[in-house]
Amino acid sequence: MRNPWAQTGNYRTSYVQDTTIFANYREIASVVLLLAALCILPMFLERSQVLVLNFILIYAIAVLGLNITTGYAGLISVGQAAFMGVGAYTVALSAPNLPFWLTIPLGGLTAAILGFIVGIPSLRVKHLYLALATLAFQEIFVWVVGRSPALAQGAAIPVEMRNFLGLEIGFRNHNYFWYYVILFVLVLMVIAWRNLLRGKYGRALIAVRDNDRAADAMGMDPGRTKLFAFALGAFYGGIAGGLLAYMQRAVVVEEFTLGRSVALLAMAIVGGLGTVVGSLLGPAFIEFLRLYMERLSEWMKSNAFIQSITPAGVDVASALLPLSFGLVIVLFLVFEPRGLYNWWRLLRSYFRTWPFKY
Amino acid sequence: MKRAIVLGMVAMLGLAMAQGRTVNLLWSGAVTGPTSDVGGPYGAGIEDYCKYANEQKLIPGVTLNCTVRDDQYQNPNTQRIFEEALDRAKPAVYLGYSTGAMLQLKPLINEVKMPTIPASAHIGLIEPPNNTYMFLPVSSYSEQFVALLEYINRTKKNAKVALVVNPSPFGRAVIDASRRAAARLGQTIVDVREVGGGNLDNTALLRALDAAGVEFILHQNVAGPVANILKDAKRLGLDKKIKQLGAVYTGGSDLIRLAGDAAEGFLWASSYYTLDENTPGIALQKQLAAKYNRSADILNSTNYTAGMLAAAIAVEAMKRAAQRFNGRIDNETVYQALIGMNGPNAFKPGFAVSTKAGIEIDFTRSEQTGAEGLRVLEAKGGKFVPVTDPFTSALFRQVRNP
Repeated sequence: MRNPWAQTGNYRTSYVQDTTIFANYREIASVVLLLAALCILPMFLERSQVLVLNFILIYAIAVLGLNITTGYAGLISVGQAAFMGVGAYTVALSAPNLPFWLTIPLGGLTAAILGFIVGIPSLRVKHLYLALATLAFQEIFVWVVGRSPALAQGAAIPVEMRNFLGLEIGFRNHNYFWYYVILFVLVLMVIAWRNLLRGKYGRALIAVRDNDRAADAMGMDPGRTKLFAFALGAFYGGIAGGLLAYMQRAVVVEEFTLGRSVALLAMAIVGGLGTVVGSLLGPAFIEFLRLYMERLSEWMKSNAFIQSITPAGVDVASALLPLSFGLVIVLFLVFEPRGLYNWWRLLRSYFRTWPFKY
Repeated sequence: MKRAIVLGMVAMLGLAMAQGRTVNLLWSGAVTGPTSDVGGPYGAGIEDYCKYANEQKLIPGVTLNCTVRDDQYQNPNTQRIFEEALDRAKPAVYLGYSTGAMLQLKPLINEVKMPTIPASAHIGLIEPPNNTYMFLPVSSYSEQFVALLEYINRTKKNAKVALVVNPSPFGRAVIDASRRAAARLGQTIVDVREVGGGNLDNTALLRALDAAGVEFILHQNVAGPVANILKDAKRLGLDKKIKQLGAVYTGGSDLIRLAGDAAEGFLWASSYYTLDENTPGIALQKQLAAKYNRSADILNSTNYTAGMLAAAIAVEAMKRAAQRFNGRIDNETVYQALIGMNGPNAFKPGFAVSTKAGIEIDFTRSEQTGAEGLRVLEAKGGKFVPVTDPFTSALFRQVRNP
């Protein structure tokens, strides 16, 4: 028997092995190590740095959902932020009466129901036309919230949780507490995601994405599969939105606009569509890009030389962030359409087969 | 002799310690990104006033460390910047910016007891819950709108009015109070429309409002969308038929620059003095803009004045905190200084108009609006000139809460 810790290739010989979550022990060990590292990471960070991590992990959950709808089922969705918003507002309305471990799943379920409804056009339309249908939902969501007195017309609804099992949650430990909650939820969602995709429902998603007529001929129901994909993707979005609501202490509609949906799509593309690792790398990359562009933009604004060579009336610093976002997406689409996940795969492959090339 | 030497040494040590003290002040706002046409000059006003305060040693023995950060109009950035400041260099006062971010930060601001002076004048910021530490430098958008409706009522009874607001909490802030005020004044709010940036053709909007018999359009927006509507109204020949008015961020030099002669006749509610007026605040604004090589666009911007006013209030509160609490300047003492800024202790920097009682800026524990006086100004010959004396809305206090 080969040493399971020193495998350099794919030695799966049965269907059961092919559907395991982890290919070998080394994968299990690396995941355990990664989780351990993530658990102790906040000890070395300031509160505000943990806040950045929280945003990344929340967006990772939303991107995981987007990767079900768009990455696996091939249904373009530009309404993921709206699903996040549905989750967030459900949490905001139910938080005064229910504990957070109920409100967050409730947010996910509400989003899933709406996702199911939004997915109905996918039974008749595809590609860009479907994207437009999801775009319509995104705009309708913002419109409805803006005109609903019950939702403060888009202004803030406070979402506060001061106590959990006797633990006082305040300014000092708020970000840390939510970091561990978000991490726990993320791990659950990743396991569920991975579990789904190794079963028949996951394979149906891929089959429908690649050729829905062929999938239909093979006995799958493309319509039901698409609706399932939308509902599940929206569920992930709703969970992410609920966590965001607690983390930010209030819900404001500005967090769930088209810009956020596009940013989530960008995260999915940059990370690598249809991959777990990409769902984590994409948000991290985009958020760090945002941070560095912010610093660069501030520096450009304060640098007299840069200002002197900039034509009057042209605000280069303002354009820097959208320009860098657009450029990154285009460069990835052209040069690395498989996203950061592919770099990760190549890197892992290099170390796995080292000192051999393959 | 020995006692004199010891006392002298103690005094010198105290002086050295006092000179070495640094107090932090933070502003985060949209220096770049959406609404940076407002945020840029606003931030510049804060920066320049801080430099001036340090040069003039406005707070004896204290050096102000003013941090101006660009949040790019993104709420998560604002939250991160604010929390970063709490971690690294806790400010004694926070000067905020956008409506959404400020509303979202309210619970945290309340929890850390941070006196906050935002650029946004959304009424929700000073409404419960979590409103204790929020102080608006000038009257709220809602109050400005009610004042404009009162002004309309003075010129035309039972007027038909339309509200055109930004599609955001910032824009919608004015709707409820305006409806209640219009009902009391016998006015009819015919329509409420939401218009954001990119409104390149407003023909349909203006034709619809004209067909509905609208006589006055009230804008709650930034200058760009309003300028486009004014230009279209002129093109359609509706500029004489429908009078257009707006709250504080609609008008000023930005509107005249963007709308050109289409801005003529636009009525603007503002608490700030204009550049043509001779007040201590405006003189200081001109002096600092020249000293720090600010462009004409920044000098002429009311948002530059607004930034200076916010910084001036913060610096004055710090100064008073130091005087009152034995040199202690932190969030708690600054809060006490702010709520004590009233009656004979009201602040008069000369950036904003005073009420009839002669008060420019005052705050109490329950009254968290600084400049309560405002004027209506009209665009005439490429600049805004006041057409009313400073006044305070009589009706707003009655319709503020249903």
